[in-house]
Amino acid sequence: MNEAIVKLENISKIYQLGSIELQAIKGISLEINRGSFMTIMGASGSGKSTLLNMIGCLDSPTEGKVFLKGKDVSLLSEDQLSQLRGKTIGFIFQEFNLLPNLNSLDNVALPMVFQGLPEIKRRERAKNLLCMVGLENRIFHQPAELSGGEKQRVAIARALANDPELIIADEPTGNLDSVTGKKVMEILSDFHKKEKKTIIIVTHDINIANYTEEIFNIKDGQEFIDHK
Amino acid sequence: MAQLKEYFKIAFRNLRTRSLRSWLTIFGIVIGVFLIVSLLSLSQGVQSTIDEQLNALGGEMVIVMPGGDESNPFMGMMMGGDKLEREDIEAIKKSKGVEEVLTMSYRSSVMRYEEESKTIFIAGVPWKSGMDILQKFQGWSLADGRWPIIGRREVVIGQQVVNEIFKNEVKVNTEAIIKGSKFEIVGILNSLGRKEDDSFAYMDMDLFQDITGEKRGSAQMAMVKIEEGASEDKVAEAIKESLIKTRKRRIGTDAADFAIITSSKISGITGDIMKVIEFAIAIFAGIAILVGTIGIMNTMFTSVRERTREIGIMKAIGAKNSAVLTIFLIEAGIIGLGGGIGGMILGVIFAKSIELYGQANPSFYFSAVVSPGLIIFSIAFSFFIGSLAGFFPARSAAKLKPVEALRRFE
Repeated sequence: MNEAIVKLENISKIYQLGSIELQAIKGISLEINRGSFMTIMGASGSGKSTLLNMIGCLDSPTEGKVFLKGKDVSLLSEDQLSQLRGKTIGFIFQEFNLLPNLNSLDNVALPMVFQGLPEIKRRERAKNLLCMVGLENRIFHQPAELSGGEKQRVAIARALANDPELIIADEPTGNLDSVTGKKVMEILSDFHKKEKKTIIIVTHDINIANYTEEIFNIKDGQEFIDHK
Repeated sequence: MAQLKEYFKIAFRNLRTRSLRSWLTIFGIVIGVFLIVSLLSLSQGVQSTIDEQLNALGGEMVIVMPGGDESNPFMGMMMGGDKLEREDIEAIKKSKGVEEVLTMSYRSSVMRYEEESKTIFIAGVPWKSGMDILQKFQGWSLADGRWPIIGRREVVIGQQVVNEIFKNEVKVNTEAIIKGSKFEIVGILNSLGRKEDDSFAYMDMDLFQDITGEKRGSAQMAMVKIEEGASEDKVAEAIKESLIKTRKRRIGTDAADFAIITSSKISGITGDIMKVIEFAIAIFAGIAILVGTIGIMNTMFTSVRERTREIGIMKAIGAKNSAVLTIFLIEAGIIGLGGGIGGMILGVIFAKSIELYGQANPSFYFSAVVSPGLIIFSIAFSFFIGSLAGFFPARSAAKLKPVEALRRFE
């Protein structure tokens, strides 16, 4: 039986902007099974990134509950959440979000530092991951010396550092040209096929969504599931 | 521990990326620590210089001077005229606790050496009874030549007379005319510590009184060596009592027109002055450190603002609050530590250069005391100050919510 890795129970998110209340998510319930390859799709301002932040435990809902691997995350302390994120979830961001002072190797190794892995293991694994995404010649380059596609591949390697069960990608091809974007999606798609990890991608691009097996449409903070 | 090493690496890289700002902030701390180290080591040097000179005066000694009073003991000496008469000296000798009395008289006089005439000080000390005290307790020693032989017209001279006062260096076994009489210079003293003491030609008391016409048996001051185990203050009190008695009998007044100084009294006075100086130094250095601390805080707050996004990223990929806090504290600590080490090195160099200058110029006698305690304190203190200044910015960084931190695009 396919167990849900993420379960959202009627969650809402309200932002208080001065005197104005903005409801970004309106009562969404969702179960994401282990091994899914899913797209959350919606137009700009539809609430898709807010939803993704909730799934990734970066933000907490105003109402409702988020369960990660069966655990109610609202009961966890900030530090426990950080540990859980580091161990269970790999993040890929639209702006790559690499630390500018660290080279590719150190960027990829950083999540392992926070999990307390010994240096030798960290370096070895980081090197392997960078080779896997085809960056064996860019190991000691600083982010400023890399192209957009290379940066995103470093970010993918970093997301895989702690062998997470869930990979979350927020517009991973948003800052890339179509050819590079396609390459990035192929890496993710391959990885899903080989490792059977759960991957959730947020995008507004249907071509990207077509790489995935499931699309979750969101509009004005409300859900609409469409199985292909 | 492995994580800590990595945090240090990250902190170092962050500082290096903003190297100009890091250096400027470090410089702020350098100035503060430099002030603390140089001023404290120099003030400790002043204290030890004073102590050395007091020891040169005789560690456990009581000095009796005619005229003046105890609040201004040197007044009578400066004004001149007053003398300790033979009776006074006998009274001092007989006081309880007195082991030996060394009398001394002095005045300025013209000395002629190799066609050049200059004014120097001449002093008479009883060689016979006083030599032992002068060598053992006053630290007199010869740099060259020998001690005078009693009965001969021989003098020993101080370092200032040798090098500074006359155009030509004054040498041993040469002759000089003092107050119209020919003297042989038989010895040169090592520096006695004070410039004034080194500007003397010392001769036997009888000889001094012969050429100056001073009454035999009198003296301008008396240095008293006290008996082993006796208290300076008690001996001073005993001397005072017997002097008053003698004077009353002799001149019918019991006014205490003499001053009795103990070395601990002088030490106490200078100690009080040094406390005031050190307090002032502490305030100035404290202000400098405070400014440096605000500098670190400012740099760290700016850094937190600039790196909000980085903090968000680190938290998203699993950094605990304590990890973020540690990284920022290390950065601030490194700034503090760097400033501390830099300031300490500059401070020591400065203090030691002043000391070297003092050694090269005897008129500017000075020593700097750089204790290991001061070095360790300045480094540990600046690391602590750095971390303290970094604490609030670091805590604000650690408390950032990952999603809010990631949303910032600055």
